Amino acid sequence: MTRRVVITACSAITPIGYGKDAIVESLRRGKSGVKALRDDGLLTERIHSKVFGTVDYPIEYGFARKDTKTMGPVAYYACKVAGDVLAASGLDQEFIRSGRLGVSFSSTHGSPTVQRNIYKTFFSEDQSKFSSIGAVDYLKSMVHTTAVNITRMYGITGRVVASSTACTTSSQSIGFAYEMVKFGMQDAMIAGGADEYDTTTVAVFDNLLACSVDYNDTPECTPRPFDVNRDGLVVGEGGAAVLLEEYEHARARGAVILGEVIGFACNNNGGDLILPNLDGITATLRLALEDAGRKPADVDFISAHATATKMGDVIESQAIAEVYGDKPWVAGLKSYMGHTMGTCGAIELILSLYMMEEGFLAPTLNLENIDPRCAMLRHLREVTETETRTAAIQNFAFGGVNTCLLVTDGRE
Amino acid sequence: MTRDELQGKIVAILVDEFEFEDPGLTDNLRDDHGFDSIDAIELLAKIEDMLGYQISRKEKEQAMSIRTISDILDYIETIQTAHSS
Repeated sequence: MTRRVVITACSAITPIGYGKDAIVESLRRGKSGVKALRDDGLLTERIHSKVFGTVDYPIEYGFARKDTKTMGPVAYYACKVAGDVLAASGLDQEFIRSGRLGVSFSSTHGSPTVQRNIYKTFFSEDQSKFSSIGAVDYLKSMVHTTAVNITRMYGITGRVVASSTACTTSSQSIGFAYEMVKFGMQDAMIAGGADEYDTTTVAVFDNLLACSVDYNDTPECTPRPFDVNRDGLVVGEGGAAVLLEEYEHARARGAVILGEVIGFACNNNGGDLILPNLDGITATLRLALEDAGRKPADVDFISAHATATKMGDVIESQAIAEVYGDKPWVAGLKSYMGHTMGTCGAIELILSLYMMEEGFLAPTLNLENIDPRCAMLRHLREVTETETRTAAIQNFAFGGVNTCLLVTDGRE
Repeated sequence: MTRDELQGKIVAILVDEFEFEDPGLTDNLRDDHGFDSIDAIELLAKIEDMLGYQISRKEKEQAMSIRTISDILDYIETIQTAHSS
């Protein structure tokens, strides 16, 4: 027996704002969160790409030292959005500590800022500093640092899942959380992802010739998903969380239902770890529909992974066309903020929920001239007032991991 | 370093870096100030910085029986005596 899984709270810290009002305004106004790459005193000068999806506004955390002592910057984002969803949910302390609430949350690297400091110490000539590398640095930098700092801060005692699969980190987090609740292992899950400012990731993609470099003087003009003049992805930062809850549990306590996860698929290309794979991606999209028991015609909107790389957008377009034809609206939401790495799936799900709730769809930013190889889709070119009942959120990662989440709006 | 000087330095560290409020010499570190195993490891690193030399593994293990600020002071004095002899 399976159970319905609804979304009863969400929160996102993104380069285009924190919270629904700011994010919706940015989407409606076409505001970009891509800025100049901040100097890190180490790699910035050597990186060709000089742009970054930046969170540059102040955030009031209000965390106590007893919590922050095990937190790197990535955990600040994670604990903030997790705290937001708990506060918004109205869940009581008895349930939060019951073991029936779990956490499915992760990041791409743990905290690269802390890792970088560890390596600085390793390569320091001052041998006495070695002893400073201890349990705290590990707790701040380990790959499940976000998930367990959330459990620690809020006293959550249920399952912990920390899927760290690069760009599919948070879409997997949400998908695995959905399955936890659907199959009865937990009654609710906080799910999402976070990634902090990090030039290491920029350098990796830069070396792979996958980063945008042609718009260094006009950051807001990149990335350009599906555009003929796109030149690569832009790395970004942020954090996002949703609360997934068993439907009857949510109804019984009178929770506001923002949406429902109706399907999830995850597979692997079984081959190349970098290049996108049409067969693998196409299969993922079909598996998600199968899991949801829906037909392609039921889907109104597709949030494409659309990183604005030369080949990625073309392969994804081909997969969408093969499965859906040209019926659903398609947008690449990374055009607003770059690629927030482990956070992107959760952010794109939340942006989709906001738009469904507000009755509009935002266009792909910077899509001026569609690449003919991507032109077979129904691209969003302007803010469109429309009712969206069902959306697909697609994400693909280095390593050949593909995910697709299918969600409906909160209406019964 | 006299006991009073040592006490001043340790209390300052606990107040400034571990956010202790009104620490008393016989307060229980865990129960009264939320001082946990992670804090203990961090404090040992700070004590090493203060002393200017590394504390041995065996000496660090002896720190696990510390319960109060007075215990911390006794512990440091014991280490100083061992290292000066």
